[in-house]
Amino acid sequence: MPVITDEARVWADREFPDFDYPVTRIDIARFARATGETNPVHYDPAVARQAGYEDVVAPTMFPYAIRMHAATLGADPNPDGSPASDVPPLPTTRAMAGETSITFGVPIVAGDTVFVNRRIADMYEKEGRSGALVFVTMEFTFTNQRGEDVAREQFTRIYR
Amino acid sequence: MTSAGSEIPVRRFEPSAVDLFMFSAASWLLHRIHYDRPFTTTHDGHPELLIHGPLQGVYLVQTIEAWLDGRGRIDSISYRHLAPAYLGDVLECGGEVTNDDDSIVELHVFTRKEDGTVTTTGKAGVRWQT
Repeated sequence: MPVITDEARVWADREFPDFDYPVTRIDIARFARATGETNPVHYDPAVARQAGYEDVVAPTMFPYAIRMHAATLGADPNPDGSPASDVPPLPTTRAMAGETSITFGVPIVAGDTVFVNRRIADMYEKEGRSGALVFVTMEFTFTNQRGEDVAREQFTRIYR
Repeated sequence: MTSAGSEIPVRRFEPSAVDLFMFSAASWLLHRIHYDRPFTTTHDGHPELLIHGPLQGVYLVQTIEAWLDGRGRIDSISYRHLAPAYLGDVLECGGEVTNDDDSIVELHVFTRKEDGTVTTTGKAGVRWQT
C-alpha cells in the first residue's frame, strides 16, 4: 500500500509563499560565529570593504539559514521541531537530511535583501529495511534585491 | 597542487553541545535532535545528540576554502549523508581533486569519523580567481 496519498500529492503541488530576508551585520556575524569562522570579512565592515565587498560578507553556506527561516517563521513547527510548512501530510514520524546540491552565485553582504522561492521538485517512496521511506526534494532559488542569482539549492529530506 | 589526484588537507572538527546549539539558533533550525537529548534518545532512538547534516556541509565548505586560501571560490557543492554523526565524535573533512581539465576544477570531498566511518560524501566544483 503506497504511503504517498493523493492528499500528499496535492500538498506537493501547492505554491509556497515568497520569503524576503533582509540581511543584517548581526545575522552574518551570528552565523559566522556559530560555524567557527574567524575571517574578519564576516565581522568588520572596514576589512570587508578593503577586500572589495560593500559590507560584511556572509559565509558561503548562509543561504541555508535563510531557507530555514523561510520554513519555520511562517508556521508552528512539528512536535519534534522540524518545519511543518515543509513536511507533506504523511504517516511518518521521523525525518532525516538526505542529499543537498547547491550552486553559488554572487556573495551576500549586509544590507542585501534575499528573496527565496521554493517548490517541491520531486516526491517518491522506496521500501527500506524497516518500512517505507519517502523522499521529498525541495528546490530553492535565492536572488538579491538587484535580481542577481545568489544561490540555487536542491535538498532531499527522507521521512520514515 | 591542483592536479587530479592531489589531496585537500584534512581538517578536524569536534563540535561541542554549545556549538550544535549555536548552529541551530543561527539557522533557526528547531529540530529537537540537535539540542534535546532525552527526546533524541527515546523518540528517535539515537545514542546522543546529532551533529547537523548542514553543519557537516559547512565543514566541507570550510575545508575547501582553507585549501583554496583565496585563490578561488566554490562554484557548487553537493553531498549526502551516509551515517549519523553524534556529539562527541571527532570529524575529519578532506578530499581530492578528481578533474582539473576544465575551467571548473572538480573535487571529491568527505567527512569521516576517527574510526574511518564516512558520514558524508560529496563533490564540489571550484573556479580559480582570475
